[in-house]
Amino acid sequence: MEQLGLADPYVKLLLDAMKHSGCAVNKERHFSCEDCNGNVSGGFDASVSQIVLCQNNICNQAHMNRVVTHELIHAFDHCRAHVDWFTNVRHLACSEVRAANLSGDCSLLNEILRLHFGLKQHHQTCVRDRAIRSILAVRNISKEVAQKAVDEVFESCFNDHEPFGRIPHNKTYARYAHRDFQNRDRYYSNI
Amino acid sequence: MAEGGGWQPPRPCEAYRAEWELCSSAGHFLRHYYVHGERPACVQWRRDLDSCREWEERRSAEAQRSLRESEQARVQAARKHGLVWAPRQSPPADWHLPLPQDNDR
Repeated sequence: MEQLGLADPYVKLLLDAMKHSGCAVNKERHFSCEDCNGNVSGGFDASVSQIVLCQNNICNQAHMNRVVTHELIHAFDHCRAHVDWFTNVRHLACSEVRAANLSGDCSLLNEILRLHFGLKQHHQTCVRDRAIRSILAVRNISKEVAQKAVDEVFESCFNDHEPFGRIPHNKTYARYAHRDFQNRDRYYSNI
Repeated sequence: MAEGGGWQPPRPCEAYRAEWELCSSAGHFLRHYYVHGERPACVQWRRDLDSCREWEERRSAEAQRSLRESEQARVQAARKHGLVWAPRQSPPADWHLPLPQDNDR
């Protein structure tokens, strides 16, 4: 079983941001490692505020880091906003857009490894596609309904980069984002 | 904000330098194009670095004004898109509670 990736700069920033928002994360309480059906890598169970990691479908430490980041983004949204996960598909779509956008799911390298070749604005295509896939994995709705929800929220949610303040393309960007988060008191008191 | 009232640049000058260098790199050009379909604009980071250094050296009021305006513009740009959901005033009530005994999910 891979480690939870708690030293990864993406994860460190998310954990700090959640603690700042009153949702300090406890490994034993907020993470569960399980065997899952299909090829799902993980999920966030909002009914019990717990991240599920699919131990049979996570390949290596880098994959683990990315899955933990993805699910922590959902947990962060749950912590900071009234997200109606179960009856408002636009809310679900928004969090899935953010998770695909900010976790590294759609990095150029990861898309190339999936044999998805595209350059100009391909990241946005990937974010839309993966958000729709994630919605369909947890909701019994048609692809058209999922796509409509993603289209309606995309402009707002693709540009919501909290808590990173930017799209963290790799660990360097994530470290800079964490530095900015730690500096936020100085920042907002001097602008 | 008064010039002598304990004001300092919102970021250390080293942070402006690091952002400008990252923005100007070939890797960032490629990643920005991959995301946005256009080349990145980096000149403002250079202006902010110069203003930061000018403040550090001469406590220039113009440098202070320029830095504050630049960062306010960044904050406004980040907030211009409306939110899909309502923000919470407090975290979810069950966040720190133990898991329910009946753990059927």
